[in-house]
Amino acid sequence: MRLSSSDHLSLGDKLRHLNWAIVALITLIGLIGVALLYSAGGKNWQPWAFAQLTRFGMGLVIMLFLALVDIRFWLRAAYPLYWIMLFLLVVVEIMGHVGMGAQRWINLGFFVIQPSELMKIALTLALAKYFHGMSLEDIGHPIKLVMPVMMVLMPVGLVLLQPNLGTATLLMLASAGVFFTGGVRWWKFLIVFALVAAILPIGWHHLHDYQRARLMTFMNPGADPLGRGYNILQSKIALGSGGFFGKGFGQGTQSQLQFLPEKHTDFIFVVLAEEFGLFGALFLLALYGLLIAYGYLVALNCRNQFGRLTAFGLTTSFFLYVFVNIGMVTGTLPVVGIPLPLVSYGGTAMMTLLIGCGVLLGIALHRDMRLSRTGSYD
Amino acid sequence: MKPWRKSKRQNNTRQPNLPGVFAAPAAQSRRLATPHDLALGVARGRLATAVALFALAFTIISGRVGFLTLFSEPGDSTSQHAQITDRTTGRVDITDRNGTVLATSLPTISLCADARKILDADEAERQLMKALPELDEKRLSNDLRNGKHCAMIKRHLTPKQYYEVNSLGIAGLEFQPDERRIYPAGNITAHVVGYTDIDNNGLAGVEKSMDSQLEEGTKPLALSIDLRLQSIMHSELSAAVDNFHALGGAGMIMDVRTGEVLAMVSLPDFDPQRPGTASDDARFNRDTLGVYEMGSTFKIFNTAMALDSGLIHVGDSFDTAHPIQVGHQFIKDYHPENRWLNVAEIFTHSSNIGAAHMAQRMGPARQRAFLGRLGLTEKAQIELPEVGAPLVPNARDWGEPTTMTVSFGHGIAVNAVQVVSAVAAIVNDGQPVHPTLLKKDSVPEANPNPVISARTSSLMRGLMRLVVTRGTAKAAEVNGYLIGGKTGTADKLSSNHKYDEHARLSSFIGAFPLNAPRYVVFALLDDPKGTTKTYGFATGGWTAAPVVSHVVSQMGPLMNMPPLDREMQAEAEKQVLRPLGPQIVDGMPIEEGSNYAAVESDSVQ
Repeated sequence: MRLSSSDHLSLGDKLRHLNWAIVALITLIGLIGVALLYSAGGKNWQPWAFAQLTRFGMGLVIMLFLALVDIRFWLRAAYPLYWIMLFLLVVVEIMGHVGMGAQRWINLGFFVIQPSELMKIALTLALAKYFHGMSLEDIGHPIKLVMPVMMVLMPVGLVLLQPNLGTATLLMLASAGVFFTGGVRWWKFLIVFALVAAILPIGWHHLHDYQRARLMTFMNPGADPLGRGYNILQSKIALGSGGFFGKGFGQGTQSQLQFLPEKHTDFIFVVLAEEFGLFGALFLLALYGLLIAYGYLVALNCRNQFGRLTAFGLTTSFFLYVFVNIGMVTGTLPVVGIPLPLVSYGGTAMMTLLIGCGVLLGIALHRDMRLSRTGSYD
Repeated sequence: MKPWRKSKRQNNTRQPNLPGVFAAPAAQSRRLATPHDLALGVARGRLATAVALFALAFTIISGRVGFLTLFSEPGDSTSQHAQITDRTTGRVDITDRNGTVLATSLPTISLCADARKILDADEAERQLMKALPELDEKRLSNDLRNGKHCAMIKRHLTPKQYYEVNSLGIAGLEFQPDERRIYPAGNITAHVVGYTDIDNNGLAGVEKSMDSQLEEGTKPLALSIDLRLQSIMHSELSAAVDNFHALGGAGMIMDVRTGEVLAMVSLPDFDPQRPGTASDDARFNRDTLGVYEMGSTFKIFNTAMALDSGLIHVGDSFDTAHPIQVGHQFIKDYHPENRWLNVAEIFTHSSNIGAAHMAQRMGPARQRAFLGRLGLTEKAQIELPEVGAPLVPNARDWGEPTTMTVSFGHGIAVNAVQVVSAVAAIVNDGQPVHPTLLKKDSVPEANPNPVISARTSSLMRGLMRLVVTRGTAKAAEVNGYLIGGKTGTADKLSSNHKYDEHARLSSFIGAFPLNAPRYVVFALLDDPKGTTKTYGFATGGWTAAPVVSHVVSQMGPLMNMPPLDREMQAEAEKQVLRPLGPQIVDGMPIEEGSNYAAVESDSVQ
């Protein structure tokens, strides 16, 4: 590893130059999540808030550690990481056939990981690495796109098999973002879009019943208000009951009275909107907006393509989480089971997001570093 | 392949733009742009586009949140609760035929607690236990602390309790308007009126069978019951049950012209205000749900059938000296006369052997059809949910042996409503009677198809009068009211379907006044025990007949029927007995002092 003195940062420098604003934003969002879980648990640390706080603390430490990792490590590790995750997805798929229904986890004993979650980071890194080494001319060459498209389709296919429509969609969209930012031409997206539109009717037949039902429910939640439309209707009612300033902490009737299923996970935003009203909801959205803006700023200011694309891909993933979750809660998008990042109860999603944030912070830290195709600087 | 190659990006046009569009760092601008830098530049442009798109999406979502938060349906979830509605006294009253209230709804207040609004649960608990000491302390403690929206503390507070709890001034306690069903007549009408659950849903009696009418009606529901007669029957029957240490009793009064049930008493009874504390036995309606082998009462139907057929005349005689063998059993008379008896004597002395011979001559088909016409083979139709279906032999098994036992009321079990309705039809010129618990405004028009002829009916009235004057039911006699009837004493079927010789059902069914029949009065005692006054006898004539007698003597004046004086009664009596002919009446010895009431012959051995 060749390092020029200008590229080398001491630990002290790194800590000083770390984007603490991002760290602060993440901490604030995470703490709001803990508070909401405390309220959703009936103003009790059990069963959710304490576990969430513990995990969030651990995640923050991991994030800060990763932020200090040299960006060149990620460039070199991108492909191996991708293959490891792909392998784990295959393992999960096999285990899933042994078990029942959707098997998405691998139990590491101390921690349960969802390879499909970590794949979001690994795929972003791998794609960024691929495009990093390419000139625009190369990118214009369709054959050169076969490889990255395969890199996307393999995990997406495995995730779809689990089946996890939401994560698969997110993987696709985040990857598309990297492709786009990487310089792939507009019309190619149009072709892909047309292709997807063409195979949609076929795909419909291969959807699981529950997935079809979710899509149908999205179209018309009122058709089955006590069944499949229940979540959406109840969450809309809760949103509507919040008003400007909400009912106050721990006073949300919808959430406190168990009207809302999944209130601590995918529908946590409703607890916020009901108890803190429009003010609270927009406050959290503003925090997300700021964080995402910071993420894109990191991408924009990064001097190397790998860092830029990675930052962009990770931030886009984060954005999609927020967008899809809130779209789902407000009935704008179908219910696909995407958590609200850093706020929803749940270990792996948060860990993944914090790891992603760690990588992002690392990129921000090494934004001026120029990287060769292979991972050393140039 | 060619076209897209030609359309390859022209780097030259883009390159000069780069520094202008994006303010590249000074260090970079000094260097010549490499292809790598180009890609980086494009990425920047693309990134800006993507970010703009995302910003738009983010704005849309935020707008959506704002819209839903401020303008969506007023989503206070409490409106989705199955709340106790604030209706007051929604369920209409039930009255007797004279408008006396039997069931009414009282607006009450119920107390519930919203644990989340209670400031000091310990203090609230202490004070509530003082005000309402009957509360369960454990439950209360739980309700006050476990964050339910509205935990019901106590339903139906009395005004005093309401005042006391309210003046405690505990925040978080809420009062809800409620409604409670009240039964002013209490036990006396318990089986007829029935009761509701705490939410005023009918659970038994008319409260259940008429549930929707009571819920939706606007006017009080008038029953056919006359509370005065109900009360008389209740007290007389209760006295008899006590006196003879019976397990229970059943009593009914019916208007024979309309089928209206004027009184229906089942003992033991219960407090409809607290049905939960009553035993199953107390809640059991012996008038409708209990089906019994009625014994000799059935000889009314047997005799009516025989006379109405025209094949047997009241003066025809049958050999009652010899028991009849049916399979392994013998039909015997309890107190055999050991001679040939005519139809009138068979009826008055209640001879099983005679009845069996008569039925034998009629045949099974005729008997089954006749009982069917009287409504004795089908479940009674009356406005109560608790109606027992009769136990009737299958048509296949209904051969000659069955015909003979059914003739004296064995091998067939019916409820009291069926027997009373059938007897009402027999005494009322054969007009079919449809029993009802609802007040009828008019007497139905004469039915052109009577179940028996008016002539047979008049014969039956004469014979029923003879039972009281010269037969088994002398204790039923009421001075001033021409009453007739028939006793019945049947061995009870025990649970294993064997006859228990020591447990019996003693009954009397009477009709009065026989010169112009208006009412049928029925009394049944479940397993009465003889007393020294009855010389140890516990037959229908000794136990149930006096109940009917007492009831009739009290109800007559109430029903605008002054008692007949001696001369008028003698005249009326002659009139009633005339259809039988002087030969029959005069040929029947009046055995002074003999206890005919005891001479019942009901047993199958």
